[in-house]
Amino acid sequence: MEFDIQKLKKRPAYPFETIAVGLAFSPRMEVMLTEAKKIADTCSAKLVLIHVGQKTKEKEKKLGDILFNTGIEEKKAKIIWAEGDVVDTILKLCKLNMVDLLILGALEKENIIKFYLGSIARTISRKAKCSVLLITNSSQQKIKHKVVINAGADHPKTLHTINTAFYFAKHVGIKEVTLVHEIHAPAFAMAMAESSSAPEVTKLKKEYTEEETNKLHKLISKCDIGNLKINEKLIKGKPGYAIRQYAETKKADLLVINSPDTHLTFLDRIFAHGIEYILADLPCNLLIVHSRV
Amino acid sequence: MSKFTHNDLIVLLTAIGVILILSRIISEMGRRFHFPIVMGEIVVGILLGQTVIGTINPEFFDSVFPKDGNVSIAFDGLVNLSVVLLLFVAGLEVQLPMVLKQGKTAIYISFFSMLIPFATGFGFAYYFPQWFGNDIGGDIFFSMFIGTALAISALPVIARILMDMNLLKTSVGQLIIASAMFNDLFGWLIFSFLLAIKSGQESLGVGYTVLYIFGFGIFMLTIGKKFIDRSLPWIQTKLSWPGGVLSISIGICLLCAAFTQKINIHAILGAFIAGIAFGDSVHLHEKAREIIHQFITNFFAPLFFVSIGLRVNFIENFDATIVGIVLVLAYFGKVFGATFGAYIGGLKIKKAFAIGFGLNARGAMEIILGTLALNAGLISPKLFVALVIMALITSLTSAPLIRKFLE
Repeated sequence: MEFDIQKLKKRPAYPFETIAVGLAFSPRMEVMLTEAKKIADTCSAKLVLIHVGQKTKEKEKKLGDILFNTGIEEKKAKIIWAEGDVVDTILKLCKLNMVDLLILGALEKENIIKFYLGSIARTISRKAKCSVLLITNSSQQKIKHKVVINAGADHPKTLHTINTAFYFAKHVGIKEVTLVHEIHAPAFAMAMAESSSAPEVTKLKKEYTEEETNKLHKLISKCDIGNLKINEKLIKGKPGYAIRQYAETKKADLLVINSPDTHLTFLDRIFAHGIEYILADLPCNLLIVHSRV
Repeated sequence: MSKFTHNDLIVLLTAIGVILILSRIISEMGRRFHFPIVMGEIVVGILLGQTVIGTINPEFFDSVFPKDGNVSIAFDGLVNLSVVLLLFVAGLEVQLPMVLKQGKTAIYISFFSMLIPFATGFGFAYYFPQWFGNDIGGDIFFSMFIGTALAISALPVIARILMDMNLLKTSVGQLIIASAMFNDLFGWLIFSFLLAIKSGQESLGVGYTVLYIFGFGIFMLTIGKKFIDRSLPWIQTKLSWPGGVLSISIGICLLCAAFTQKINIHAILGAFIAGIAFGDSVHLHEKAREIIHQFITNFFAPLFFVSIGLRVNFIENFDATIVGIVLVLAYFGKVFGATFGAYIGGLKIKKAFAIGFGLNARGAMEIILGTLALNAGLISPKLFVALVIMALITSLTSAPLIRKFLE
């Protein structure tokens, strides 16, 4: 099957027309498929179920039972059994099937060696050319209550991410979301220590906060809000880490972030930044929006 | 062993008091004209030191700043402590993830803004050492030092310039900061290597020196950093605030500095790497960072920068030819290197030039590097004076030149 890379590049991040689910036959598979069906139904999306591994009678039976329990019609869902490297195969199949959203199960925290070497769900999250929804192991309730969106107002991807998150929220019945803008200015303390009087420092900090607030307002004004209730929050701290802490403290159901800008390597896990802080310890379900810009 | 007398204490306290008050007054005057604070401190050193008072009234100069004896030893100790702490705060702002986050453009800028000035400085110093007041041709250490001196940037003055121009948070500002961090890190690593080789040639070979430097760096930035990361929340919540974090961070910095000095790498490397390990922690409160900066920048920095002027006669050691050559090479290497890196990294030529001139500010870091090289016998006082002048001129011209290319 051939795919048109140009068509994929120009494809907007939403609507979700094709949703894929990575099947690992874990105990959480049924919960994941229930969530996937709900999202696929509300978005009127096709469902593609992918398993990379040997196709056995037991697996076929188990999948059949779960599909029956979750109400997914086998004829309507596309089921792909493939063999090979799990990460590469899933990424390739997502491209071939023009997948808009890939749903994967993930542990909140991998053991240290597995994390640094790269677990399957996390490696796919770093490399995928479509949006990825990581459903954590402990998430019992459906995504409907507290949604936190990373609204890094300086990034060109953020507007697409927010609009995609709003689209997702409206379809799964979320009424309220919080847009969080992280403030981080490396070398700011050093620049102030160089020579600033007390009123200057206060003024600089005030101006800085006002500037960031205005940026966030400007960004929100460009978004398609609809009937959603929007909360705004400015938080200080290292990007990625600060929002992870915030989502954890607020017991969020879903955290929405931009896809990574660069190809992430082992070094990015050692000298962690941005998404790596979140992947190191997932605070809740995570939606990584690939805006394809 | 001679005791520190009643009179010695009076002289030492007077000297420190005079230095702190005068450097604050002159720096505040300079601040009105947007001069970097280090410039005021150097001017005070020149006024109080051998150049002015030492020439006009040598007896008075010797009575307040004696060249030898207990006071001189105590003052030298304070100056050494100052340089260690200055390197600690320099490290505190080096955030390696930022270079990675900025992606390939930052990596190109960082690489070429190091490589081209280093190669230029090394080449000219190796083949034309007489241009730098050195008679020995083919001197590898000397050539490497010149290369490093031209390659280093000064994060504090760059950050200040960008903040004053409201560029600190822009993409250009972030690229300049990320590249300056990279330049500082590699500049200080190379310089520590040079100092280690120069001071301990008999005890350590090149291979062991490199191994020790990288071994210590990797240990501190992985295991050491994890340890600091885990301890900081406890330190900042269970101990007195801000005393707890201040004493523990400075204590760890001094222990690291002592360790690197013990293994024959200079103490500055230990302090610098300890600063990176602390500064990169997600748990270090912004307020704690500010307090550490304020304490060190406003007490130890004046002692160090004024002491430079006290020891060196800037008029006697002024050599227009060396100053001219150092200035031309400094501007050419840094501006061309950084601009080239930014251009091939995808920026338009005007923005690329703005980044080139932004990174060209050498400021306090160059002066620290020059002082350590002078003390280690790597360079002559004439070359040192040229480096100080270059550091000040590049810092002063950086803002107007950035503005010219961004307008």
